[in-house]
This record gives sequence, C-alpha cells and structure tokens, in this order.
Amino acid sequence: MVKTTIRAVGLTKAYGSGDARVLALDDVDVEFEPGFTAIMGPSGSGKSTLMHCVAGLDRPDAGRIWLGDTEFTGLKDDALTALRRDRIGFVFQAFNLLPTLTARENITLPFDLAGRRPDPAAVRSVVDVVRLGDRLDHRPSQLSGGQQQRVAVARALVTRPDVVFADEPTGALDSAASAELLGFLRGSVDELGQTVVMVTHDPAAAAYADRVLHLADGAIVTSSC
Amino acid sequence: MLRATLRDLFAHKGRVVMTVVAVALGVAATVASLIVSDSVSMTLSHRDIRVLDGVSVPGGDRDRLAELDGVTRATGIVVARAGLVGDNGKLVAADTLPEQAGTNWDDTGRFVLVAGRAPARPGEIAVNAAVGIHVGTKHRVLLAGGKRDNPTVVGLFRYRSLGSASDPTPVVAHATSTGDYSRVELTTDSPDKVKAEAQALGYTAETGAELSSAAQSTATDNADDLRETLLPFAAVALLVGMFVIANTFSMLITQRTQQYALLRAVGAHRRQVRRSVLVEASALGLVGGTVGEIFGIALGPLMIAVLRPGQEIDYTITPLTIGVGYLVAIVVTTLSAYGAARRAASVSPMAALRLDATVTRQARNRRTAIGLVAVAVAVTAVLATLDPAADTTARIVAIGGAIIGAFGILLLAPVLAGLVLRPLIALARRAGPATRLGVQNAGRDPRRTAGTATAITVGLGLVRAFGTLSATLTSLIGSADRANIPATTTILEPAAGKSAALDASDLTAVRSLPGVTAAAARTALANVNGTVFKVTAIEPSALGTVLTPQLTAGVADLRRGVMISRNQAAMMAVRPGSALTITVDGTAIHTVVAGVYNATELQSSLYFDVSLAPAKLRDRPSMIYAAGPRAAIEAAFHDRPDVVVTDRDALVAADIAEQALAFVVIDAMFGVAIVIGVFGVVNTLVLSVLERTREIGLTRALGAGRRLVRRMITMESLVISLFGALSGVLIGVGVGAVMQHAMLGQELLAFTAPFDAIGLSLPGIVACGVLAALWPAHRAARTDILAAIT
Repeated sequence: MVKTTIRAVGLTKAYGSGDARVLALDDVDVEFEPGFTAIMGPSGSGKSTLMHCVAGLDRPDAGRIWLGDTEFTGLKDDALTALRRDRIGFVFQAFNLLPTLTARENITLPFDLAGRRPDPAAVRSVVDVVRLGDRLDHRPSQLSGGQQQRVAVARALVTRPDVVFADEPTGALDSAASAELLGFLRGSVDELGQTVVMVTHDPAAAAYADRVLHLADGAIVTSSC
Repeated sequence: MLRATLRDLFAHKGRVVMTVVAVALGVAATVASLIVSDSVSMTLSHRDIRVLDGVSVPGGDRDRLAELDGVTRATGIVVARAGLVGDNGKLVAADTLPEQAGTNWDDTGRFVLVAGRAPARPGEIAVNAAVGIHVGTKHRVLLAGGKRDNPTVVGLFRYRSLGSASDPTPVVAHATSTGDYSRVELTTDSPDKVKAEAQALGYTAETGAELSSAAQSTATDNADDLRETLLPFAAVALLVGMFVIANTFSMLITQRTQQYALLRAVGAHRRQVRRSVLVEASALGLVGGTVGEIFGIALGPLMIAVLRPGQEIDYTITPLTIGVGYLVAIVVTTLSAYGAARRAASVSPMAALRLDATVTRQARNRRTAIGLVAVAVAVTAVLATLDPAADTTARIVAIGGAIIGAFGILLLAPVLAGLVLRPLIALARRAGPATRLGVQNAGRDPRRTAGTATAITVGLGLVRAFGTLSATLTSLIGSADRANIPATTTILEPAAGKSAALDASDLTAVRSLPGVTAAAARTALANVNGTVFKVTAIEPSALGTVLTPQLTAGVADLRRGVMISRNQAAMMAVRPGSALTITVDGTAIHTVVAGVYNATELQSSLYFDVSLAPAKLRDRPSMIYAAGPRAAIEAAFHDRPDVVVTDRDALVAADIAEQALAFVVIDAMFGVAIVIGVFGVVNTLVLSVLERTREIGLTRALGAGRRLVRRMITMESLVISLFGALSGVLIGVGVGAVMQHAMLGQELLAFTAPFDAIGLSLPGIVACGVLAALWPAHRAARTDILAAIT
C-alpha cells in the first residue's frame, strides 16, 4: 500500500484586493506520495504558491493540509517552525546558505537550531551522496553555484525529513550542474527512500521525477506518471 | 546560530564601527562622571579630619566653660576677617571667604607646622601653606573694622579642620587673640557629660564624635550632588547614542532579510532570530563598553582639572564604576536594538524568495498618533501655565509639557521628514544630477533619514534650549539691574565674590565721606511664611535714591512694611496689608506687606527695614549703594583690594560674563551629543552606500564620474544633517522658551533667541555634514563597476 506523505484539501490563496486580486490557488485538492514528484506550470500558474502552502512557509486563505497524521492548519508559528525544522527539508533557487558559515556548518544548521548534536553517521551519508567530502570547510563564497546547491541538498536531507521541497533548484545552474543536482535528488529517492517535491518549469528537470503535476490558473490540470 | 551571528559581525566591522563609537562615547561620559564624583568623594572623606577629644561650643564664654566639671582644657578659637594681600597687591585666592580667614594660633593640633615656626608675638603670623606664600616675607593683612596690619610670615601650616562649617580653614593665624572667640573647644574624657553641662548653661554644643560623623555625611552629600549634576549629561550622550544604534540595527537587519528568512524557513524560531540580533547587540555593547571605559578613565583627570581647578584630588576608580559602565553599554545597545530584533524575528520565511521589508503601516500610524497626542498634551500643558507668577507645581507642569512635546516631535520626525523632503525632491528635479540623486536618496526612506537626523536633533536641541535660557538670562541680568539701579549709583562689593561680605565699618567709612549718602544691602536666605528665598535688609532711605524699584501696588516705604516682588507676592498670595513672618538668622520678624514691585527672579524678592534685622545680619553688608562723588569713594578705598568700587553697567557686564562661562561648560558637555549624532550620519551613509552597491555601480556604468558619485553622497548627508539641525533648533528654542518662562518667571514669548549662536551652528552643521560624507563618499566613488553589476 502506498502511504500518503502530504495531503491538502480545498487549498485557496489569493493575493491583492479589488481589481488587482489574483487567485493563485483555487480550491486545490492534492496528495503527494512517496517518491519524486514534480510540479510544473507556466509563470503565475500558482505552482510556487502551492509549494509554499504545503511546505508550511505560507498560510492558505482556506483549506486544510496534513503532513502524515499532523494537520498544519491552525498550528501556531512555533509548532510550525519546529515541524519545518524536523520534518521538512528545503532547497531554494538561490540564496540557500548563510554566507558566514562553512559548508559543514550550513549542513548541520537544522541540528544547531534545534539545539541537538548532529548525528555523525547521517552527516557522513548525505555528504557521501552529494560528494562534497573535500569542500566541507569552505565558505559559500568559495564554492561554485553547483557546489552551493549540493550543500543545500545535503542540508535538506540531513534531518531525514518526511519530505524535501525544492523550488526551481536548478534555476541558476548550467545544464551540466543541473543534471548533476537532479541526479542527487533522484539518488536520494532511490537510495535513501526520500520523498521529494520539486517545482520547476523545465521539462528536462521534470523528466527525473516519478510523477508530474501540471498547474494552470491556480488549478491542477493533469497528473501524469 | 551564535557562531553565524558573531562571524557576520566580525566580517563586517566597517558597518558597525560607528555604533561602537556611539556606545563608547556615551559610556565614556558615564564612566568619567562616576570617576570624578568618586574621586571628589574619596578626597573629601580622606581629608585629614581632626576628631576632637571633647566638645565644641559655638559662641561660648571660655572662662565660664573652663570651670565645668571634667574639662581639662578650654581653648578659645577666633574666626575673624583677614584679607591677606599678595605681592601683586590683590587678595590672595583662597577657598575660605576673607571674613572667616583669620584665626589665633594654638597648639591644640589644629595646626601642623610645615615650615618655619609658630607665631610668637604681635607682628608675626603663620600662613596656610596652600596659598603659596614664603616664610620671611612681609604681607599686608586687612582686618575687621577697616584696620590693617603688616606682619612678617614666620611659619606655614596645614590646617586640620573638624570638617564642620563652624571650623573654616583659616588663611592667616595670628600669634595672639582679641579674646572675642566664636567657638570654644573643651578637652575632656567624658564629652557627653560636658556637652550636657554646656547645654544646661544655654549653649549649643557638639561632641567630637558628632562633628566628625556630620563631616563625613556632608562629604558624601557633596559627592552625591556632583554626581547628580554630571550624570544627566552622560544620560543625554547615551540617549543620542541609542538613536544611532537603533538606526544601525534597523539597517543591518534590512540588509540581512534574506538570511533571516532562510533561517526561519529551515526551522529557526522567532525567538532564536530575535536572540541572535540581541547577542550581536550585546557583543557590540561589550566592545563599545570597553573602548568607552578606557576613554572615560582617560577623560577623568581632564574633567577634574576643569571642574575642580587647583585642587589635589585622589584619582579613584571603583569596581562599581567599571561594572556600571559595562552594564550601561550592554543595556543601552540591547534596548536600542530590541525593535530591530523584533522586526528581524517577524521576517516571513517567504522573504527568502522575494525581497521586501517595510515597516507595517499600522506601526507607523501608531507612532504618528502617539506623537500627535504628545504634542497636543505639551501645547495644553504650556498654555495652561502661561501665567509667569504661577506656583512651582505649574512650572514643573510647563517643563514636563515641553519635554513631552520634544519627544512627540521626535516621534513625528519620519512624518515631518516626509513632508519636508517631498517638496525638496520636487525642487531638486531642476538641479544638477548629483543634487537630484542625493536628495532623492535622502527622501527614499524618510524613516531612516529621520532616525539619523534625530541624533543631531537631540544634541543640537539641548544646546539651543540652554542657549535660549542663557540668552534670556543675559538680557534679564542687564534689564533687571538697569531698571532698579540708577546709572549714577556707585556700588561697592566684596572682591572675593558674591558669597563674601563687606565689613560693617565699610558702610560707616563711605557715609563719612563729604557729600556721600549710602545704604547697604544685606542679603540672606530667609523663611517667609514657610517659603524659603533670598531677602534683603536695607535702610529705608535707599528706596527712591540709590535703588529705584518699579512699584506696582502699595507704597515704597520700608518703615511701613516690606517690599515684595510681584511674582513672589502672587505665589504666596499676599498683597499690601498682608501679614508676614520673616525668620532670618534664627530671629523672627513680624511685619506686613507695604508695597509690591516689578522684578525678575534674579533679584532679591523682598526688601525689609534693616533696623528690624538681627545684629549679625546687619553687620554683614553684601553690597553698598552710594550716591555722591565717585572719585571720593574710590580714593577712600584705593588701598583696599578686598573691596571693588564699581557702578551699575560694569556690574552688569561682570555678571553676564560670569554666567556665560557657566553655560560654556554646559554647551561643551552637550556638544558630545552632537558629535555622536554626526557619527550616526557617517554610519547611515556607509550602510546605505553598501546597500546600494549595485545601484551606484550601475550609475557609474552609465557614465557617472567618481566626482558626481561623491557629490551625490555629500548632498544626501547635507539633507540629513540640515533636517536634524533645523528640527533641533526649533525644538531647542521652543523648549528653551518654556524653560525661561518656568525657571525665570518670564512671559513665554519674552525669551531672547540666541540668533548669533543659531547663525553659527548652521554653517557648523553644514561643515559636519560635508565631513560626515567624506568616508562614505570615498567608498561609494570606489565602487567596482563590474562587481556591482554582475
């Protein structure tokens, strides 16, 4: 039986008011199963808004969201923060790393924030997966764009989250670095059994996913495997 | 998290250097103030205080007291006039007033011989070693009753005072005494018993133990007074520093919005973000505090030299002072950074993806609303207490209102900045590109411009408030004396200063001159119907001749009662015919109000007939007013360096010069606040240049020369500084007007604006604005075009 990781019902989110009101999400029902899911759609289709809502970064105007058995809706900021820290991983398009911390310190930041000692085995395994061994003591400014994104992936994986959200993770990379990064995300699904949800507008990137959700005008158009 | 914060801090030292300076200056002022008062206190309490083994009886009869049971020795001590004349023909400067500077030599341990020998016969004196006179020289000594002596100095002494007012430190010790003792010291093994016996004879008596504990507490009180005088200046420096710090942090967190958002996205709690900003503030406070402590410790001796010139002070630094310095540094920085920390914590995790960080409209509205309410309260408070004769409570309300109003205007500063800058930007459209861009940059964020300018506003506002008070005081001194003393009146006053007294014989001497009439004012603090203020006993004949107060009610005849000033009469609710009880020098005088006159509060508020005054007051003329040939008076006193013969206009000039000097010290201390404010401008400009690196790079790429970029930054600096200066002058003159109204009992609009000082401060601020822009403009002009746009 396939276990549902994230489920949302009736998600609605609008920006602006009056004539400028834009309906970014219009009563969306969605489920993310284990494996690699890509969300695609043109600019303004609501794909980023959908990810922000289901990742607990933003609050929808209406609708309910569950991560496993935990319902997001109505959680206080502190509880939601702890949930993001312990059960969700993030990779953004750019600006993923704190400039003053080394790569290793950036990777262990979630443990640091939680006041826990990082699990050395977990750190070693994610570092192995993204092959960063010799760059761990460098600052982000000393790393290439591709290497920075790999550090971000390592940080997203290190807490063994229920789900990793990636928002256009290859948007600022060249094609070789993109392929490498997508390979790592794919690998984390296959080797570590990680659930990954990725927002992208690049069909080549979406090709790495198990499933693709297409969004247009704030609604899911198709779901393909 | 902590690591990230601290590393970020050290990676960008340049951004926070001015914050450190602001903290350091405030802490330095605090530490220096504490050190000065501790040092003075320590010096006072370490003074060589003599503890009397016995009892001191002021005004006692020595022979009678010597008979008391248990008394082993009775020493009569003289306190008399002795004006020691130096080689330059002037009175030798001393802390003790001339009328208390003479005593008789004895071997009770009061004197410690430092050089020479004790005076043994008439014509020999010993002199206090502190005044710098040598053994073997002959010096003139001016004695009571107009007598003089020309003795030889045979010894120098150091005096061991009991530390009480009844035992002033003498300048001159004569070999013999006149037998007219002001105090008797009784040596005994059972002081309490002897004290009781002396009291039974009707004397007031104090034991040595009582005197020394009183002396200690006086020393502590003096140090406390000094501390209370100095610390407000330090508080102002800290307050101004707080604006600079708050502004810096507000800009720092704006620049780091993305970082905070990322932290929030990957699971940092709000309080973790908040704490990281506060930790950063504390670290800065610690660094600034350390610099401030060092600076303050170095500044201490300089302040002592200015405040206590010519005195030997034990330089004292207590661990408490160091502790307070650090505490103030950390509390002030974290408190100032708290608002910024809260804003950092409220950054949405979404902001990691898109950048916009503005203050919520609601907070801004609330700030404006509070500011408007404060200004309204201030206007109401000041209008409600417009009557210059209002009582003390009303005056406090007026001053409180002025302070609330000043804070209100500071709260409204961002709105005011918006109002002022918008038309300025429109105006600058027609100017050259540097002016246009500079003014636009200043107007881009009125909140930041206002925040930066506020530091200057506070500093300059304080200087101008006291400047207005001082200018009003200056014109008052002149107008008051001119209105009440005819220009032809010749005035004699003690050369040793206003607190000294002339000799009773001087009045007789002036009156004995042919064609000269004279009256003497004897001024003292008195309790009148329960209120304590200065009163003057004078001959009734003086009114209308040598003194001409403007009568507003009743009659100017002291034989029929007292003359009281209009303000004082209104405050005490008395009118001609009202009964008064004046208690002065322990004597109660029952009289009535005869007349009311117009006076400023600088003058005596009450004149009464000298024949009613106790003998002690009668024989202590503070000033003699004479009519008649001045040349004759000058000739009679040409050989008297302890008496100054002057007239109204010279007196006015001397008084004005004296109070101007006092205000120079106040201005210098508040000047520190302006310096901190200018550092704040540097700070804001450096941060905004960093923030706009891309923008400036783009301008350069599009063809702006380095010169244009520099001029643009300078223009921004000028707009900020001038906005701060103008609001400072407005607030300052406003508060100053209320201060002179409340403190000097003047009409609100009767203030004198210090136009020349304002005229000077504006070019001064322009110069500061240009200087403040030097470094930031240099940095901006050096912006690497490629790095900025790629």
